[in-house]
Amino acid sequence: MLFNSYEFIFVYLPVMLAGFFLLGLRSRSLALGWIITASLAFYAWWRPINVLIIAPSILVNFVLARWLLRLAGDKDRAGLARLVLSLGIAFNVAFLGYFKYVNFLVTAANDLVGTNFVLMQIVLPLGISFITFQKIAFLIDVHGGRIPALSLRDYCLFVLFFPQLIAGPIVHYREMMPQFQQAPCRWDKENIAVGVCLFVFGLFKKVVLADGISEHVSPIYEMAASGSEITLFPAWIAAIGFTLQIYFDFSGYSDMALGLARFFGVRLPANFDSPLKATNIIDFWLRWHMTLTRFLTAYLYNPLVLWLTRRRMAKGLPGLASRTPRVGSFFQLLAGPTLLTMFVSGLWHGAGYLFILWGLLHGVYLSVNHAWRLFGPRNWSNKETYDRFMRPAGFVLTFLSVAVAMVLFRSANSDAAKELLQGLIGLNGISLPQQIHAHLGPLRGLLQSFVSASTEMPAQEFVLAIAWLGVLLLGALLLPNTLQLTARYEPALGVRSRPAGPLSLLRALDWTPTVPWAVAMSALVVAVVMRLGGKSEFLYWQF
Amino acid sequence: MTDQDLLTIFTRILRDLLGDDSIVLSLSTRRIDVEGWDSIMYVNFIVAIELELRIKFRVADVEAFDTVGDVVAKAHSLLG
Repeated sequence: MLFNSYEFIFVYLPVMLAGFFLLGLRSRSLALGWIITASLAFYAWWRPINVLIIAPSILVNFVLARWLLRLAGDKDRAGLARLVLSLGIAFNVAFLGYFKYVNFLVTAANDLVGTNFVLMQIVLPLGISFITFQKIAFLIDVHGGRIPALSLRDYCLFVLFFPQLIAGPIVHYREMMPQFQQAPCRWDKENIAVGVCLFVFGLFKKVVLADGISEHVSPIYEMAASGSEITLFPAWIAAIGFTLQIYFDFSGYSDMALGLARFFGVRLPANFDSPLKATNIIDFWLRWHMTLTRFLTAYLYNPLVLWLTRRRMAKGLPGLASRTPRVGSFFQLLAGPTLLTMFVSGLWHGAGYLFILWGLLHGVYLSVNHAWRLFGPRNWSNKETYDRFMRPAGFVLTFLSVAVAMVLFRSANSDAAKELLQGLIGLNGISLPQQIHAHLGPLRGLLQSFVSASTEMPAQEFVLAIAWLGVLLLGALLLPNTLQLTARYEPALGVRSRPAGPLSLLRALDWTPTVPWAVAMSALVVAVVMRLGGKSEFLYWQF
Repeated sequence: MTDQDLLTIFTRILRDLLGDDSIVLSLSTRRIDVEGWDSIMYVNFIVAIELELRIKFRVADVEAFDTVGDVVAKAHSLLG
């Protein structure tokens, strides 16, 4: 069930919490067992067969983890431990590969080699990409000696905890289990208040903002998929609109996940930190889907760069230093691993060429950003003048680059993506709705040679879409984010109050359990309830 | 080798990598405290230490280091 559905908010959640707190009065063990049982029910809600698919994978990982624990610290059996770890990673990758990528590989083979393999009927278990990454990280941590002990109950709790089960954040066992072990399993008014606050913020972002702008963005992508030409303005509305939609959708989901976990006294790691405010693409990826970036950096990028750097330096070749950067080391130690990591990120997001292209494009963006840092001009008089010019320029460039790449992420097929990308650079012409074009007044004569009138979008829809874009953009860029608003209550792991200073004006907005905030939250709830039950699906649940 | 000896070596290595002679590392320094110390420069820093001290960290250790003090402690244990 979706977090924004009636059945989740008015049936599942109250029953879940009542059971947890009542059982918590008797024993912690019962309360934690209840979380596992109720999380299984949550997971089984769409398709009960999901549980039957995921359960064997959980058991296999648990058995392998116990084996690794027995081998830990035994230097004579380090080779066997590496083999068990490799086996576990291979099992998880194969598990994900079968359910998510078999049909993509079959299609790719048919496209490339001209074979006629028939696609298989495969049920994709919910959240399999998130769950798989989490289990791989877990095995690596056990092998690395970072998890000293393990029980089946604790492992199930870690894997199945429903707030992060379907779409993250991608958590580590070592950051979750100490919290479960110390959770009081009792009603705590601060946890409940902060949890409700985070959940309502997230629900508002999802139901009102993301679903709201989706109504103006999706029709343009559907037009592109049906083969219609998309001109400049609608193409940019689609690109920027979807960027805002997916930001409010996924960050809203993450806020809700943080709020739900907080009801149980558990803090999840932060997943978003106002990524659209980023002033370069490296900064963007440190603020967007942070737990995925953390996973890919820790378990793919860093080990790969470490291995390559050691090999290179062992041969007497230089590493990568800012003072004396070399083009060879840049490509071998930075651009190559970055492209590979972002290729994996694209493939992880979806089994399709466009997702891979989207990942690779971000890999190119990141490499260019790193190259600029290493090889770019250094003759600015000082950092202040550099920042005064480059920060706004970097912000605009980053935002537009992200928005253009999102066209690949959202388009139904490559023809639709091509249509929209052509539209973005004006190859499909520039047009305005007829009613607006007719009221251009003296500008009409000036613009008539390159701006035509069209029926592509009705004038009212055009204006509404621009208004939505403007409001959401201002909100995303000027307002503090959910984590900043609730920072004094540590809404996510390690997120604490900002120091006073230039931001002190914004601190007046900090959430506290006061009457003005109660009124504001009630207004958000009313806005949410008025839109609940409409057509809605979290974009990231399909991954 | 004392903590201070290792800190002096680490500071020199990081200054060379980032091209910033104003960097001064302490046991409590984190990556976030030093501008430009991103993941690629972190890995270079680790490998440069390995070459200088003729030691080898485990990948899991490299991921686990939170502060420069953690690197110093691990280097001590590897140096014996």
